[in-house]
Amino acid sequence: MTDELKLIAAAKAGSAEAFCDLARLYRERLLRFLLTRCASYADAEDVLQDTLIAAFRYLHSYDARWRFSTWLYRIAIRNAAKLRGPDLLEVGELRDEENDPLLQCMADSESKNLWLNARQLLNDDVFAAMWLRYAEDMSVNDISKALDRSASWTKVNLMRGRRTLESNLSDVPEQSEAYG
Amino acid sequence: MKLMDKLAKRLREDAANINVSVSDELDRRIEASLLAVSPEMAEQRPITPVKPPLFWWASTVTGIAAAVAVIAIMNWRAPEQPVADVPLNIVAAVPAIDLKAEAAVLTNPLQEELDKLESDLKKAEEKVRRDIGL
Repeated sequence: MTDELKLIAAAKAGSAEAFCDLARLYRERLLRFLLTRCASYADAEDVLQDTLIAAFRYLHSYDARWRFSTWLYRIAIRNAAKLRGPDLLEVGELRDEENDPLLQCMADSESKNLWLNARQLLNDDVFAAMWLRYAEDMSVNDISKALDRSASWTKVNLMRGRRTLESNLSDVPEQSEAYG
Repeated sequence: MKLMDKLAKRLREDAANINVSVSDELDRRIEASLLAVSPEMAEQRPITPVKPPLFWWASTVTGIAAAVAVIAIMNWRAPEQPVADVPLNIVAAVPAIDLKAEAAVLTNPLQEELDKLESDLKKAEEKVRRDIGL
């Protein structure tokens, strides 16, 4: 049994300490993802906190057939959407360039961070699918589960996302990747 | 090892270039919230007592006996009386209607009305004749 499974088992038995240790494994990754979906750093932190609380509260419903991170991301995506309200604005519409939390957290580099382009060019769900695939290295099935979408939707939209980014970037050669 | 293309590699690197850190304050906040929360336990299904096989046999036999009884009762019912034959000559079977009598019955009130109108007309005619001195 891996350490993660042991922590999950202990947390399921009611140990908050075990869940805190488990949360430490994921909180930076979740926060990085949430910064791409929230209007401010404070919102991203609030959603992270809500996500971890909800995960601990409803841990009994976690199905061990799926990766724990998939389940956490699913909760995080829902919580971020709830914070944005029922109007379902696209993430790009929420931002004010000066206070953009993602911009604030980007390391200085010679080229523009591709995720900034992705956020401008792709819709929310496709952006999330791309993030889970390339930043989190999730499988198509895990992404489908996290986004509550079909595997076909995920495959098609990953391909579309790639094509959109590739066509936008002159320095990245056309190259395809097989999914599934 | 799966060959990672250039776009995927750059996306991965750029994601890693987003520097985030959970502040001590947020860490304390999260820990305090988690300690305050009590996880919901999975719903305990009510334990149903295991019935001995005798109950199963008894209920099965009772069910079969009931079904047999119902079938037997349905079959033992007395056959229904056959429906009387409908006479072929319906015209002969239906009593003849006295059309004349019926016509008289129907026209009598009209005839009386007509007689009254005629007598009124005569009276009126006589009155007119008297008035003009004929």
